[in-house]
Amino acid sequence: MPEIDDAEDAANERATNRGFGRILVALYAIMAIGATTRSLFAIATKFDQAPLAYSLSAFAALVYIIATFTLARGDTASRRIATVSISIELIGVLVVGLLSLIDPAAFQKASVWSWFGLEYLLLPLALPILGLWWLRHTRPVEDSAAI
Amino acid sequence: MTGLFANLIIGVAVALAVWAAVLAAANKRITRSLLIGAAVLEVMLLAYLIGGVVQMIGTDRTFAKFEFLAYLVGLLIIPPLGIAWAWDEKSRSGVAVVAVVFLVVPIMVMRVQQVWAGVGA
Repeated sequence: MPEIDDAEDAANERATNRGFGRILVALYAIMAIGATTRSLFAIATKFDQAPLAYSLSAFAALVYIIATFTLARGDTASRRIATVSISIELIGVLVVGLLSLIDPAAFQKASVWSWFGLEYLLLPLALPILGLWWLRHTRPVEDSAAI
Repeated sequence: MTGLFANLIIGVAVALAVWAAVLAAANKRITRSLLIGAAVLEVMLLAYLIGGVVQMIGTDRTFAKFEFLAYLVGLLIIPPLGIAWAWDEKSRSGVAVVAVVFLVVPIMVMRVQQVWAGVGA
């Protein structure tokens, strides 16, 4: 039935977890796993060496976990949480990235967001920009009419 | 945990990633032969985990053993998880996810080698 397929395609176009969203969620999941395990090891074994950097990494990990699950879920509440957490993520990576350039001594032990996430191929800088763009791109029709 | 086998894993993973990226570019979905390639890589990663544990038990050097194990287990888990996540995606993004996941494998293998060599995180 072509009509049903069309309706399904239209619904899929608005889903945060379809199309490009599949890749985005996968990238967020990779960052979530990477940042979570690395920050847990760092906090467990050498927290006193760089409490600021490792706390920031743990916070970043939490943001990545939230973004992964909310983007994968994609309902109204999830979209709202995703928008807030990814906005915080963008501010976080910009502020920490800038601070690590201004005051490298404070960030000798790398946090995920140091140097805008260079150690992670700049993915930490790209992800929030792509994430916010994707949330806007997939926003429900009634939202776009209101804007 | 360096040496030929690790490099072989990196080579296979990169080849599979390129293959998946080509499929994505050609607007294809996940193919049976790509899955066979993924299964071969998975067997290699299982052997890598077993070899890693054996070598870890056989050495009295100190290095970040929990981190080492976490990377080896993560290597085994991540490709199937990624393929499962990509599986029911109808667009080319499905096979693109698989390409991304295969690219994570070389990065993690290099981290395993660094941890084994005792390079700090």
